[in-house]
Amino acid sequence: MYLNKSIKEINELLKNKTIKPIDLVEEAFQNIENNKELNAYITLNKEEAIAKAKELENKEVDNLLFGLPIAVKDNIVTKGLRTTCASHILDNFIPIYNATVVEKINEKNMIIIGKTNMDEFAMGSSSRTSYFGAPKNPWNKEKISGGSSGGSATTIAARDLPFALGSDTGGSIRQPASYTGIVGMKPTYGRISRYGLVAFASSLDQIGPMTTNVYNNALLLNALVGKDEKDLTSVRKEEEDFTRLIGEDIKGMKIAVPNYFMSDIVSQSITDKVKEIIEVLKSNGAIVDYIDVPYLENAVTLYQIIAMGEASSNLARFDGIRYGYSYENPDNIEDVYLKTRANGFGEEVKRRIMVGSYLLSGENAKVYYNKALSIRDDMRKALKKVFEDYDFIIGPTTTTTAYNLTDPMDDPLKSFMDDVLVIPVNMAGLPGLNLPIGFDSNKMPIGMQIIANSFEEAKIYKLASYLEKELNLSLNPNGGEDNE
Amino acid sequence: MSNYIPTIGVEVHVELKTKTKIFSNSINGYGEMANSLTNVIDLGYPGTLPTLNEEVINLGIKAAAILNCKIRRVMHFDRKNYFYPDISKNYQITQNDTPIGYDGYVEITKSTGEKKKVYIEEMHIEEDTCKSAHRGTKTLLDFNRAGVPLIEIVTKPCMSDGEDVKLYLEKLRELLSFGDISDCKIEEGSMRADVNVSIRKNESDPLGTKAEIKNIGSISNAKLGVEKEIERQTKIYEAGETFKPQTRRFDDKLNDTVLMRVKETGNDYRYFPEPDIPYVILTDEMIEDAVNSIPMLPDERRERYIALGVSEINTNKIVANRSLSDYFNTLLDEKINHQVASNLLLGDISGYLNKNEKTIYDTTLSKERFIELVNLVSDNTLTSKNLKDILDIVLESDKSIQTIMSEQGIENITDDSEIRNIVKGIINNNPESVNDYKAGHDRAIKYLMGQVMKETKGKANPKMAMDILVEELN
Repeated sequence: MYLNKSIKEINELLKNKTIKPIDLVEEAFQNIENNKELNAYITLNKEEAIAKAKELENKEVDNLLFGLPIAVKDNIVTKGLRTTCASHILDNFIPIYNATVVEKINEKNMIIIGKTNMDEFAMGSSSRTSYFGAPKNPWNKEKISGGSSGGSATTIAARDLPFALGSDTGGSIRQPASYTGIVGMKPTYGRISRYGLVAFASSLDQIGPMTTNVYNNALLLNALVGKDEKDLTSVRKEEEDFTRLIGEDIKGMKIAVPNYFMSDIVSQSITDKVKEIIEVLKSNGAIVDYIDVPYLENAVTLYQIIAMGEASSNLARFDGIRYGYSYENPDNIEDVYLKTRANGFGEEVKRRIMVGSYLLSGENAKVYYNKALSIRDDMRKALKKVFEDYDFIIGPTTTTTAYNLTDPMDDPLKSFMDDVLVIPVNMAGLPGLNLPIGFDSNKMPIGMQIIANSFEEAKIYKLASYLEKELNLSLNPNGGEDNE
Repeated sequence: MSNYIPTIGVEVHVELKTKTKIFSNSINGYGEMANSLTNVIDLGYPGTLPTLNEEVINLGIKAAAILNCKIRRVMHFDRKNYFYPDISKNYQITQNDTPIGYDGYVEITKSTGEKKKVYIEEMHIEEDTCKSAHRGTKTLLDFNRAGVPLIEIVTKPCMSDGEDVKLYLEKLRELLSFGDISDCKIEEGSMRADVNVSIRKNESDPLGTKAEIKNIGSISNAKLGVEKEIERQTKIYEAGETFKPQTRRFDDKLNDTVLMRVKETGNDYRYFPEPDIPYVILTDEMIEDAVNSIPMLPDERRERYIALGVSEINTNKIVANRSLSDYFNTLLDEKINHQVASNLLLGDISGYLNKNEKTIYDTTLSKERFIELVNLVSDNTLTSKNLKDILDIVLESDKSIQTIMSEQGIENITDDSEIRNIVKGIINNNPESVNDYKAGHDRAIKYLMGQVMKETKGKANPKMAMDILVEELN
């Protein structure tokens, strides 16, 4: 059992040859096998992972991530490894190219263990729209893990392995991180290349790290960032170490809490817990103010229009002609399109494509989409303005803790309301992180969201690690010792 | 027939002469093996993203400037969404809201001599689609063309007959190929025109029902198509009937337009701004650099040649041949007889080039050697007969023209006394002509000169002989 040790300890063990990468890989696969019923994975990369681990035995241990197992959300393309987006329409799709983030984790000699379960094409908040069935919450197998990065959250929370990649379009990293009690970061839009992330809503999508603790999260982010010639929306920034502010004092830092985040849309057990945290922050010298931020209440509406509009276009390429599932006996080209897409996509995906197509049709584009873009801009400005006076915005990540897998799915609006607190961050392109801050009375994790100005991820890690240390929570659902 | 007023607008797509495609680094090429010039981006694979070829923006600026368009400083791309197998993503990346150029014109000269402006509504950048070929019940797709950069140039409905359309297309082809924007080869599909035709009875009437003619394989067919379409629509109206807006194609074999489909109302392309490509902002410097790199355009070439004394016929012939014209442009500041230079290029030299399927740049005729040649011909040291004899050597060796002449035994009589003796003999033998000359008849000296050349078998240096003749006569 090595994977429950700190990354620095594991690194030492690898360096002094006490252990080999294959030990870590085998342990990860054993953990996943033990937790099989959690349904965190769609495809395991066993043969390749073992081969890679053996290959690494002859290489110098040259970085902290060397030889460490990582899980990759199944909407990030992996060369030679099936990438399904949890959809029937791609269930036979084996890419011939890598996402840029996959190239980057390969450069660090990390080992991809498998592709994690998710909502189909990342459309959902509970991972229940997966063609492969929903993952289960390690804290209570009757509960959802959240979504859309539900599989990645599950495997991290279950302590199968230390690192996973998720993607966040409207909270899809932070919300499942909150439901499962892990650390999940959605970095600034443009921080990480989207090349190879199967697009859901291009102007909102962002890949991010999901880990058991803050330090690991910052460490993984170090490996993922950077301008990519293949993604015009990626941003060139000076190289930085995201762990560099960890351990610093938070005295005098100014923190804003939007009143809307603490209003009655959030369960009281959660607002109570956040208030406790606010007291902790104050007693450690931070300044916390409750403020009004306009437009936050419009987030879900904007999201529905922008995300679905973009999705209806992004998913048009799945037509059965060049790759993926194709209807076997079409009468004509129309039939190829209709039956491939009717059979290949699940209900939620089809619903969103239809709504999105409608929103962009004829005059609707002006009435809805263009208007949404303009309000989005207002919301971005309103949030940016807060950072003229404050270092952070904080609040609950979710309105409730994880609910039952059997709860009805027939109210699409409700599932969007799950994400009302996390969507504004995507709309404004800001970085946001979920930090576990405690549990409700049913021992289900509660998460807090820490938001900072664009490209201030390092600052977020500083506050998050300070609180992590201060709270010193036991976050292993299996009980047992936690890593540092 | 003549009592209807036609209104015609033209949409032209030209493929840009770039090394790579617009949104990926695949080669932009023609005539290669099907699907050999493609990658996962061109094929619309999941997770792939477009990049933007800066060369395309540069050519777009140049094209806009050449077509006298206003150039937009801040622009973005849009997605045009539709399902069709020729577009891998099922949306085309184009510019709907913010075309790079707008409000331009080109000038045409009608056969009556009347000059007319054809107004350009807008020109935008977009990606080409893939080529499909139908084989029985199957359709084959070749994505080599997918993602080749295009500009689409849309005129206002401002043309009124087939001649306008023909002249406009010819002018556009000339401008864009001289501007190095596109090779504008209609037969290879690198220039494609769709023509919209409607007719109405009076200027005050609203525009008539529109028919769009596609698949036009040549400029002359564009003219013919328009004329046939005006004829067809006139017949319909004259019979008291109407027709629905429709798309027709030009059929080479029938030499007429044929119905493709009746247009359904309201194509809904669900346009929205392309989120994968940030806004493009053109700086003054970018625009200036692009405009400054536009090669000299045909009208300016013609103007300059005429000003240097080149005949109109020669001027037009040279401008019609891009490489010859570029060669000629290097001589504009030289003190030579440009008419003689143009005669040489269009005469014997063009004959050689055509016969050998070469361009002037494939020969050894450097600028310096050509200047020597022009001067030797101008002062008649080298006669046209002489030139014919040594032309192949002139164009295939590096030797100076003088050297070639002496090696080939082309020695003109340049000895003063020898010529003077012959001249004296001619004057003595032709007293009548001498009298005519003294009486002021110009023709007489030409006759006497002819006699001198005859006597010397054409070897006397003509200029020298003339000078001596005049001297001796006086």
